[in-house]
Amino acid sequence: MFASLQNPRHLAAQIMNFGLVLSTAFMMWKGLSIVSDSPSPIVVVLSGSMEPAFQRGDLLFLWNRQLLSETAVGEVVVYNVKDKDIPIVHRIVRKFGHGDKAKYLTKGDNNVADDTELFAKGQDYLERSDMIGSVVGYIPFVGYVTILLSEYPWLKTVMLGIMGLMVVLQRE
Amino acid sequence: MHSSFTRLQNVFGFFTTVAFVLGAFIAATDLGAPRTPSGIIKTDNVQVVKGRPHYYSPKKEEYAIIRFSLEADLSSLFTWNTKQLFVYVTADWTGPDNANNSAVIWDSIITNPSADHLQNLGPIAMKKLKKSAEGKSIAPERGLLKLKNQKPKYQITHPSGKIAETPDVTLRLHYNVQPWVGLLTWNMDKPFGVWQAMSGGVSDYFTLPALKSKDSKAKDAKDKAGAKSKTKSKKP
Repeated sequence: MFASLQNPRHLAAQIMNFGLVLSTAFMMWKGLSIVSDSPSPIVVVLSGSMEPAFQRGDLLFLWNRQLLSETAVGEVVVYNVKDKDIPIVHRIVRKFGHGDKAKYLTKGDNNVADDTELFAKGQDYLERSDMIGSVVGYIPFVGYVTILLSEYPWLKTVMLGIMGLMVVLQRE
Repeated sequence: MHSSFTRLQNVFGFFTTVAFVLGAFIAATDLGAPRTPSGIIKTDNVQVVKGRPHYYSPKKEEYAIIRFSLEADLSSLFTWNTKQLFVYVTADWTGPDNANNSAVIWDSIITNPSADHLQNLGPIAMKKLKKSAEGKSIAPERGLLKLKNQKPKYQITHPSGKIAETPDVTLRLHYNVQPWVGLLTWNMDKPFGVWQAMSGGVSDYFTLPALKSKDSKAKDAKDKAGAKSKTKSKKP
């Protein structure tokens, strides 16, 4: 089982392989990011404010280009509030004006009130630049792993450990 | 090598491949299901009143309260991959400098029976909802909407705080189909494959009335003898 550890050439190849897998994943993520023009083209739903359509752990695909038409009322967008780093997935319910200066108001389908309370102090509306994309595709449940990982940090260590061990011990 | 680990890895890999192919197939069946949405929408009573965005706000803004009637047939949008239909009505108008304005005045979540259990409802309403489509997993009849003199869910205003006497406002019916897996779709301006554009779904142009003055409000209140005549000044 530990034969690979005795052969440094083999070990080096395994480490190389591991690096290749990681960089391929990273390249695919960044490639998708360029195609969709979004810093985060795939997001995991973290809250229940868009239930029953989106639940915690569901995977959303984002598109951030406005090729055919401008982002409009009714679209579900992901935005970041100024100075806060939590992406929020909500639906646009109001839009005033057009272009870069358009003012947007959002609301979660499952929430009673709109998002004015969530915005930064003195901020009444969102701008297009606050958004990182609008939702176009949906896969249920797949993202739940990431919620588990962030809620139970020790799982991260365990998984990384297992992955590293497997790759190193694995033979061609 | 045939260790139990590689076997486990193969099984898991095969499982994910099958799951994704199956998901893609289910998502693709949407494109083969014809969609023929239609709707008739018209305004009933339209009012503009003064109110505050929230209880402690010193600012007073004008709010439009647009009552409307809607008759829509969205039953063709319910297929086995429909999780829910989000139906919404917007008021659209063009302001100065050709600025397009659009605001939702009413919306509704219509679940397919397969997603009923996910709704955020009280136990009694949930029981009623589940009973309404017992034994069915697809309920196209839920796509038949008939609203008369419907009160709007949201009173709308403009960032400037002025909305009274706005000309050329229209009401527009929209929908958003949210699937169990696949692409989210909205109503389209042009037909696409077997999906037809919404027939109708737009009201005639109307002009928002002038602000309701205090005198007329007092008179109204007298007419109704205090019965639910107070206008809400809460933020919509």
